[in-house]
Amino acid sequence: MASTMRPLVQMVGRASRSTVPSLERSTLRSIPSQNAFLPLRTKPAQPAYTQTLRHNGLSSQRSFSTTTLRARARTMGQLKARNSTGPFSWKSALLFVITGAGMIVYFRVEKERLARKRIAEMSKGVGRPKVGGPFVLKDLDGKQFTDEDLKGKYSFVYFGFTHCPDICPDELDKMAEIIDKVKEATKGENIFLPVFVTCDPARDTPEVLRSYLQEFHGDIIGLTGTYEQVKNMCKQYRVYFSTPQNVNPGEDYLVDHSIYFYLMDPEGDFVECIGRQDTPDSATKVIMEHINDWKREELISTWSHIPISLSSQLTIYSTQPV
Amino acid sequence: MGWLPWSSDSKNTASDGGRIAPDRSSRQKCWEGRDLFFSCLDDNNILDAIKEDKEARRKCGKEIAEFESACSKAWVKYFKEKRVMEYNRDKTIERIKKEDAAKVQDLKAQGWNPR
Repeated sequence: MASTMRPLVQMVGRASRSTVPSLERSTLRSIPSQNAFLPLRTKPAQPAYTQTLRHNGLSSQRSFSTTTLRARARTMGQLKARNSTGPFSWKSALLFVITGAGMIVYFRVEKERLARKRIAEMSKGVGRPKVGGPFVLKDLDGKQFTDEDLKGKYSFVYFGFTHCPDICPDELDKMAEIIDKVKEATKGENIFLPVFVTCDPARDTPEVLRSYLQEFHGDIIGLTGTYEQVKNMCKQYRVYFSTPQNVNPGEDYLVDHSIYFYLMDPEGDFVECIGRQDTPDSATKVIMEHINDWKREELISTWSHIPISLSSQLTIYSTQPV
Repeated sequence: MGWLPWSSDSKNTASDGGRIAPDRSSRQKCWEGRDLFFSCLDDNNILDAIKEDKEARRKCGKEIAEFESACSKAWVKYFKEKRVMEYNRDKTIERIKKEDAAKVQDLKAQGWNPR
């Protein structure tokens, strides 16, 4: 390609050499003629105007040329070497490919992020079934624990009961794995709050819950309360449960309940359900996507505040007497 | 009798009045007892150990005794019911798959092309 382009480039080079002086002449000549169209009263100013133009002839000629071709390349040899490949080189090709690939990757990532955001926003929308809401329970130390305590972090809420035959233990083992994976991915950042809410407060007292949850993961926060409190919590989270309210002491029973994990965002809004079909890996992926999206948005909002504070400082300085 | 047949009431009551649930090792023990009992039922072509209780006890006496001693009553009942439920579920899925395959075959014969 380069060899076929050479004659053309040479021609262009020759042409530019010959056209530049002529361009200079023609522009200077055209200016007085343009001024002829100006209203009469500007006429006295005309000679001075032309004079300054003539004086700055060199710089005005420069302004018509957008390249620094003549300034940089001193000899024809340099010029030829520069133009032998034209504007295309392997460097520019590489830059083009990298930029293109970068843009494609960026747009894909951004598209996925926006899709997730839309879904997350949708579950916040008006008229949609709202999962989550105010509740009052108590933690394993007997301290009050409310929905406010969940905020500021991504919480991962699971409902169950300690006398659960097989599903809850399986799911809690999964939860433990997810906790470790998320911890690893967030480098131990305090951003993820795993919570276990009992549907069976009659049997699951703090002491029972503590020893039960300890077997799975020490990070899980156990919550219990009165029957009414737990019922309200389940109602807020749309969890079905069938705990018998009045059982004889010592009577054995099971509790039917929904078996989903609820991922709630730092504002306490529902974002995602993790179910039986999810593996620890797939669940961690979903959770980390949401956490990273959130962190990114936090970062953007932090940065977008900086110019505001800077400009306000600047106005303060400018109003002060110097 | 306590809620678990092998232990007394006091052992399963926490100091704050809660009822201690089986821990990991006793859950494991219960599940092993269940699996042994169910494989015995499979061998003897028994599906529903509640309906066919007498038959199950006659053929798998040792296994059912172990199973019932390792798990609480509610769990025993739950697992027996779950076995029937899962069997019916799997059979239904299989039936639907078969019907689906037959339908696809039928449609293909009529010149329909998937995709």
